[in-house]
Amino acid sequence: MIRFERVTKIYDDNTHGARELSLQVRPGEFVSIVGQSGTGKTTLAKLIIAEEKPTKGKIVIGGWDITNIKQSEIPVLRRQVGMIFQDYKLLPKKTVYENIAYALEVCGVQQSKIDSIVPQVLRVVSLEDKRDNFPDQLSGGQKQRVAIGRSLVHRPKILLADEPTGNLDTINAQEIIDLLLKINQLGTTVLLVTHNKEVVNRLRKRVITIDDGVIVSDQLAGKYVL
Amino acid sequence: MIISLVRTTKYSFQNFWRNLWLSIITVFILMLTLFAVSMVASLNLLADQAIQAIEDKIDIDIFFKDTATEDDIISAQIYLEEIAEVKQVRYVSKDEALASFRESHEDDSDITEALDELSDNPLPASLVVQAEALTDYAFIVQQFETSEYDALVEDKDFSDHQVVINRLSGLLTRVYQGGLAVSAVFVVISIIMMFNTIRVGIYSHREELAIMKLVGATNLFIRGPFVLEGILYAMVASVCAMALLWVVVISSAPYVNDFFQGYNFSLDFFFYSNLWFIFAIQFLFSLVLAVGSSMISIGRYLKV
Repeated sequence: MIRFERVTKIYDDNTHGARELSLQVRPGEFVSIVGQSGTGKTTLAKLIIAEEKPTKGKIVIGGWDITNIKQSEIPVLRRQVGMIFQDYKLLPKKTVYENIAYALEVCGVQQSKIDSIVPQVLRVVSLEDKRDNFPDQLSGGQKQRVAIGRSLVHRPKILLADEPTGNLDTINAQEIIDLLLKINQLGTTVLLVTHNKEVVNRLRKRVITIDDGVIVSDQLAGKYVL
Repeated sequence: MIISLVRTTKYSFQNFWRNLWLSIITVFILMLTLFAVSMVASLNLLADQAIQAIEDKIDIDIFFKDTATEDDIISAQIYLEEIAEVKQVRYVSKDEALASFRESHEDDSDITEALDELSDNPLPASLVVQAEALTDYAFIVQQFETSEYDALVEDKDFSDHQVVINRLSGLLTRVYQGGLAVSAVFVVISIIMMFNTIRVGIYSHREELAIMKLVGATNLFIRGPFVLEGILYAMVASVCAMALLWVVVISSAPYVNDFFQGYNFSLDFFFYSNLWFIFAIQFLFSLVLAVGSSMISIGRYLKV
């Protein structure tokens, strides 16, 4: 599903985001990518959604070599890779329903399809009763569930979660992780980028540890080792 | 595609509406630019018409001595007609001159009585010469003065008009140049305003734009509303500028038409018969300004 072959990313200021990094993620896997701040976790996420291009090496997503992806092809890639962030990135002036529907609107999906998909997604993220609320009327966990809902509307094959529990308390964080596990069980490959030790240790799933742009550990049922 | 176009249009209207004051100022500046350019164009048109009207009135009157026979004058006419720069030469005999003089002074009893008391016709025969171009008169006069016929001439009437024409032409050129300079200033202000408006729009929508990119909106969909916003500015500004121009035409038409009385020119008729053409030119001009500025601003500030 995801393949990195000796990928190196050097930024303009000569810092390394990745050094000869190779990894493979199979379809349907749940992988936690851990490491301290500034070790290259976010670079990895940005490389997967083509926000950054590798300096060297090769990246293949779902059989598609995106190493030198064209600008016009990036939107197509991003509809196949759902992404959620620590700061949710919701539109404050849109309701829960509108925030989720917006992801379909901007991709030119017909209104009738939007009307059928969005309620399904709201059910998956358990926010049917909050559909008309605005983001500032929701808790942190609910906001993150809206963001997850939005990332699911295109039925992506991969869900990339960059520190999704970073702003949440323990209970809300666990709810989000449970939701990610549920989505994973439905067949979506999930990549969880985090430095939350408790979350990773409880998961008992594959853990890839990155330090200074290099994979220092890759365990199938691992723990947070740094 | 149609769905995307409809949504892009909806977002562009939203952009316009949500930054209403900025939109109004932008449209206002663009409208002033169009109006200034239109006024310069109108001035140019009126100047051309005025000069044309005056040029049509210009001619050289060559008055012959009473000793010159009709044959001499006809020979002089043939000589003049052979000069390439001469458009037309008309012979006015002594009788015709008198008849015309009487006609133009028929209400002035003093003059008619004075003429009746004279036994001879005091008015000379003449040739009325019209040149192809205003600048040709000096050459024609020079050519005539070197000919044998100049000895038959009593008097010539031309030089006063040349001075008037030159002054009028000079004045209109200066006004036209001033208008062009004012228009250029407005064009620059418009570009800066439009550029800034779109930039502010991009800044105020930065969260939305980031999310659009995140969920896979195409570049066209992200950039589209800003380009359409520019088109919207152009359209509203063109309509407003046309309305303003209409007011100016309606209020100035009586004076302008009075000035051109006797000539085939009417300002309001010209405006109405070229209404769509003027609107199209204004719209195209504002479109180039607005979309051009939008594209520069998008290219610079909207990284997708």
